[in-house]
Amino acid sequence: MNTVLSCAGVGFKVRGAELLNGVSLDVQRDETLGIVGPNGSGKSTLLKLLAGLCEPSAGHVQLGGQALGKMSRRSIAQTLAVVEQQADTDDGIRVFDAVALGRTPWLSALQPWSPADEAIVEQALVDVDAVHLRNRLWRSLSGGERQRVHIARALAQRPQILLLDEPANHLDIQHQLSILQVVRALPVTTLIALHDLNQALKCDRLAVLERGRLVALGEPLHVLTPERLQTTFGVRAHYLTDPFDGAPILRFLA
Amino acid sequence: MSRRLIRLLLVLLTLSVALIGGVAIGETSIEPSVVLQVLANKLWGAGYVLDPIDEGIVWNYRLTRALVAAACGAGLATCGVILQSLLRNPLADPYLLGISAGASTGAVMVALLGVGAGAISLSVGAFAGAVTAFVLVILLARVSGSASSTGQIILAGIAGSQLFNALTAFLITRSASSEQARGIMFWLLGNLGGVRWPSVWLAVPVALLGLVVCLWHRRALDAFTFGADSAASLGIAVRRVQILLIGCAALVTAVMVSIVGSIGFVGLVIPHAARLLLGTGHARLLPASALGGAVFLIAADVLSRTLIKGQVIPVGVITALVGAPVFALILVGRRSAR
Amino acid sequence: MLLPRVATLLTALSLCALAQAAPTAYPLTVENCGSSLTFQHAPARTVTIGQAGTEMLYALGLGDKVVGTSLWFNDVLGTYKAQNDRIERLADNEPSFEAVIAKRPELVAVELEWMVGPQGAVGTREQFHELKIPTYLLPSDCEAKDNLVGSDGTRLAPFRIDSIYKAVSQLAAIFDVQARGEQLNDQLKASLAQSIATAKKQQRKDVSALVWFSSAEMDIEPFVAGHKGVPDFMLSTLGVRNVVESDEEWPTVGWETIAKANPTFLVIARMDRRRFPADDYQKKLAFLRSDPVTRNMEAVKHNRIIILDAMAMQASLRTFDGLAQLASAINGYDLSP
Repeated sequence: MNTVLSCAGVGFKVRGAELLNGVSLDVQRDETLGIVGPNGSGKSTLLKLLAGLCEPSAGHVQLGGQALGKMSRRSIAQTLAVVEQQADTDDGIRVFDAVALGRTPWLSALQPWSPADEAIVEQALVDVDAVHLRNRLWRSLSGGERQRVHIARALAQRPQILLLDEPANHLDIQHQLSILQVVRALPVTTLIALHDLNQALKCDRLAVLERGRLVALGEPLHVLTPERLQTTFGVRAHYLTDPFDGAPILRFLA
Repeated sequence: MSRRLIRLLLVLLTLSVALIGGVAIGETSIEPSVVLQVLANKLWGAGYVLDPIDEGIVWNYRLTRALVAAACGAGLATCGVILQSLLRNPLADPYLLGISAGASTGAVMVALLGVGAGAISLSVGAFAGAVTAFVLVILLARVSGSASSTGQIILAGIAGSQLFNALTAFLITRSASSEQARGIMFWLLGNLGGVRWPSVWLAVPVALLGLVVCLWHRRALDAFTFGADSAASLGIAVRRVQILLIGCAALVTAVMVSIVGSIGFVGLVIPHAARLLLGTGHARLLPASALGGAVFLIAADVLSRTLIKGQVIPVGVITALVGAPVFALILVGRRSAR
Repeated sequence: MLLPRVATLLTALSLCALAQAAPTAYPLTVENCGSSLTFQHAPARTVTIGQAGTEMLYALGLGDKVVGTSLWFNDVLGTYKAQNDRIERLADNEPSFEAVIAKRPELVAVELEWMVGPQGAVGTREQFHELKIPTYLLPSDCEAKDNLVGSDGTRLAPFRIDSIYKAVSQLAAIFDVQARGEQLNDQLKASLAQSIATAKKQQRKDVSALVWFSSAEMDIEPFVAGHKGVPDFMLSTLGVRNVVESDEEWPTVGWETIAKANPTFLVIARMDRRRFPADDYQKKLAFLRSDPVTRNMEAVKHNRIIILDAMAMQASLRTFDGLAQLASAINGYDLSP
């Protein structure tokens, strides 16, 4: 079985409004699955359901073959890590300690902090190229640096699956690109909600959401057809080819 | 390992010095040698011949008061830490959940309405009021939204506190005698005067238990740094931890308030001071805040008795008078640390 | 009580007073606590707010002129019980304004300014005067006392016993019973003189005392009598030093300070109110005898604890009874060093 995470017919209702309806998808091991859709299509909600942060009002989610709802938070956290959209804190926490929080699911009274944990945190900092930030205070970091620290924390969890909710939102272009580069280079199954459709092209597969329903699932070029872009996103677009490396680029028309 | 031991010894030393200070300094002056002799007599039967009034004052009045002050200060500071961490709000203090307001109403009902006809003390009334107010606040938070949403709990707490404070004010203004009103106010503003050994056997274990429970959950508390969702994704059973720790904070605070009345600022200021000096990390923050609260309250109580000769000021007045400027300094310190 | 006994001793004086007393000339204007009260005739219907005023009227033989009473601290004096039972009690504590005026009084006798005054719990004096109802405040609560400062009001000068004689005379004048008023004042003055003489018989000259009213909680700092109030007056009149040094009327002082001061005897209040556990004098005694510090006090060890009626600690006729009780106790103590 190559499916590490899946959901079947999940729906989510809040105060009568249906944010998700009948969504079924599966995530394959080691792939990078992008979730795209216009605002309000339910991307964040889907990620939260898949991460087990809220319960679906219909359908169910399975993690590694087990029902997610029946697993303990701790065992979920040892398999799956989440990078939220805008997690922030007023505390004067050091970067190293913020990343070290990622070891929480693995620590207990019988398994206290050890040099092995220290090494894992160091490695996570290396992976996101944030070693030079390790002693800085949270408050002094820029938006891009903070996102990198969040990713490092998720990596320190040593998860098999990484969920990211629009990690490059509100970042300037340089940081957007560097974050997505970091994420793509990670050797973990990745589920990433994206806004930028050109970035989405670089994922292995894409899931397109529209008003809470899954309307397409497959390889990016098969899924993000100009027709799809018109119906779901309401834009006219066509593909170009980058003369540099032959990669497809979406060009949007007003 | 030896660093830990050194830190532990330092903590115990500081606490002991504070306790001895609280025993040696008081309303009337008793020679330090007499104080030590009383302690020697009581602790290992040294057999000095001393004035029984002096012995009684040192052992039954001052020592018990210092111990309860330490326990209350530690308890309130610990509760402040966990409420600020769990509710993600720097203004959270143990009284946020309506506990102090409810305790005041309970005490006032006993003293002014004669509920219990003189058989229940103010303390019992206060405890009942505190628990009632807390339960109502939690119910209100549940009814008005998801109970684990921290914003809801804070709003419900404010609403509950306002309600019970209004009740208290109403009952006091209806009071038949200004002397009764004054008696109530004296109690409400915090007072360690009525403390004897029975209070010690209640306050100290409760404070220690609260501290232990919170320390046990230090990693869970750390995990809340980036919010409840973040804590959940780090493997914390958020709902269970919130219920347990907030309930624990409510219980510890209710017990403390029922013993000594409503002493403010300790639960608010001490955690911030500790954070400023030690940074984050509840493994250090909790014991540091507890120690800070203990020493602070011992000092405040001594001050409340010695500031005006022959008269006792409610200790809650002292903590407010000292706490407010200290809080202001902390705020400035936070800004310049950015 | 002692009053009837003293009365028989001084019959001669009374007769003289009767012979000299003049009837009241109406209309009568009385200056009372900053208000000018005018009476066209003796009031036939009086409402009292405050036990001191009530018992003063009874002592002047004016019980049939009282139609309503309120604000009671203790049971009425035994001698007046039958009479008092026939009069409607409007409230144990403060009555409402409407309850008072519903009795159509021609005079309201008030013991405490915070009942009827600028921030009166029942109403302001103007409210009554607008309805042509004069309010008479006992001078002891307004003379040299600022009732807007401090929780029980602050005395600017020590309490003077003259304020009670003044109340008696003025009320007697208002009701046209001046002879009876002078008789009563003479009885009171004689009682005072007798008490002072009795106390002087005590050999020890450096006697000290503490007066304990009540406490918010049993073990907490007690409300004790400071300087300038009625209890302090009683102590100093009898040549006793009050160990409390505060100028407030009822400060809270710690037991530690009290124990170290070690007064010669203690006075504790007896009252019917049960709001605080310490209101019960039995509980006060139990505390004094069991607390590890207070039970070593000289006064507690030798059982020199006087139980005094709470009414005696307020400016009222019972103050004189209290003085007599204290004097006799002081005289009875064997204080040889």
